Amino acid sequence: MAIGPRAEDLPRIRLVLVLYRISAAFTGVFLILLLAFWITRYTVGDFAFFPTTGTFGFYDKELIEAGGGINLTVILLIVHGWLYVAYLLLDFALWRLVRFPFSYFLLVALGGVVPFLSFWYEYGVPHEVHRRTAHLTNPSTAGADA
Amino acid sequence: MTTPARADGGFWAVARRPKWIAALVAVLAVAALFSLLANWQLERSIDSSAAERPDTETAVPLRTIAVPQTPMAADAFGRTVEVDLAVVPGDAVVLRDRVNHGDPGWWVVVHAVDADGASLAVAAGWAATEAEALTAAAAVDAGEELGVVTGRYLPTESPQQSDFEAGERSAIAVAELINLWSAPPDGVYGGYLILAQPLAGLEAIDAPAPSRAVEFSLLNLFYALEWILFAGFAVFLWWRLVEDEREQELAAPDAEHGDRIEPTGDPGGAPGTEP
Repeated sequence: MAIGPRAEDLPRIRLVLVLYRISAAFTGVFLILLLAFWITRYTVGDFAFFPTTGTFGFYDKELIEAGGGINLTVILLIVHGWLYVAYLLLDFALWRLVRFPFSYFLLVALGGVVPFLSFWYEYGVPHEVHRRTAHLTNPSTAGADA
Repeated sequence: MTTPARADGGFWAVARRPKWIAALVAVLAVAALFSLLANWQLERSIDSSAAERPDTETAVPLRTIAVPQTPMAADAFGRTVEVDLAVVPGDAVVLRDRVNHGDPGWWVVVHAVDADGASLAVAAGWAATEAEALTAAAAVDAGEELGVVTGRYLPTESPQQSDFEAGERSAIAVAELINLWSAPPDGVYGGYLILAQPLAGLEAIDAPAPSRAVEFSLLNLFYALEWILFAGFAVFLWWRLVEDEREQELAAPDAEHGDRIEPTGDPGGAPGTEP
């Protein structure tokens, strides 16, 4: 197996990169929402929707359950958890395909945990990937950007 | 690390190097930490609050668990309470679309005050028809008394805009009832009471005890699952890194292991880079 990214992997790299960017955008937005709802959870309560009345509100989570409400805070936390799993898998796939350093893999993984960092990597990772695959797409420049 | 071990000894030849043994110890420590976190989330996913919840079936004085003019406390939910009530005549209301044991019907909601004069909405009973409910409501307004009663204390429902527009009521909402009562109350309880013994002419409203069964929190259960995944992933990463070093040495035997060859340096040097 090659040490650097392989030319035959380029279509896969492009696909995973697109998926990674989508995942980074979603994870980033959900992380900020999560922060906001984490603050409300310890101040005014969980955010809930009550289908019977069609109303939204912040209540103690036991009262939400008793009132037949849908606890949107809990749903948000669960969704973010699995979005992060997907984010991590895509980060992993990129690391395998592009062979960037393990430390960079770990930094990108942090992007899904530290608020706003994912937005940085959403733009930083494509740049890094292009830098490392440029010689494959255009062999004449091989080594020029090393 | 100085031994220029050849990579063709297989995976374990590389994995046995002190560097990778140290990495394995570190990875196992991380995996153990993740397992502990998974265990912690798993424990949290079993809702201990259900077991710690106060006994809801022993009647306690209403004043000990609820204070007028304050939101209802979470541990007051569903408690059986005892309270000395006096009816405020003329304030009885009937609510439509109230299901009791599967049958649609009507509720009679009485305005009562406790010994301290604080108002409490009392669901006095259920009737299958509006006529029966109105008859019972009229009896209350005509002077039927409550006295010391027991019942279940529950949180207020939300007023329903659509009902209001249609001139009908189906929700027992304290905020709405206040506006219907003839005189402004001197303090009001945030919840309402379902009478254990209904008033004459009405059936008892089914008010089961809150579930004390152990509840699972999906959130913590999923978090536990994710930590287990991450723990497995950490070990997998170690294997992948060792395998990387081995492949790197197979591809470029002269390179010192541990140094990553920059892919932009010499793509032709590694097999498989040519399409």
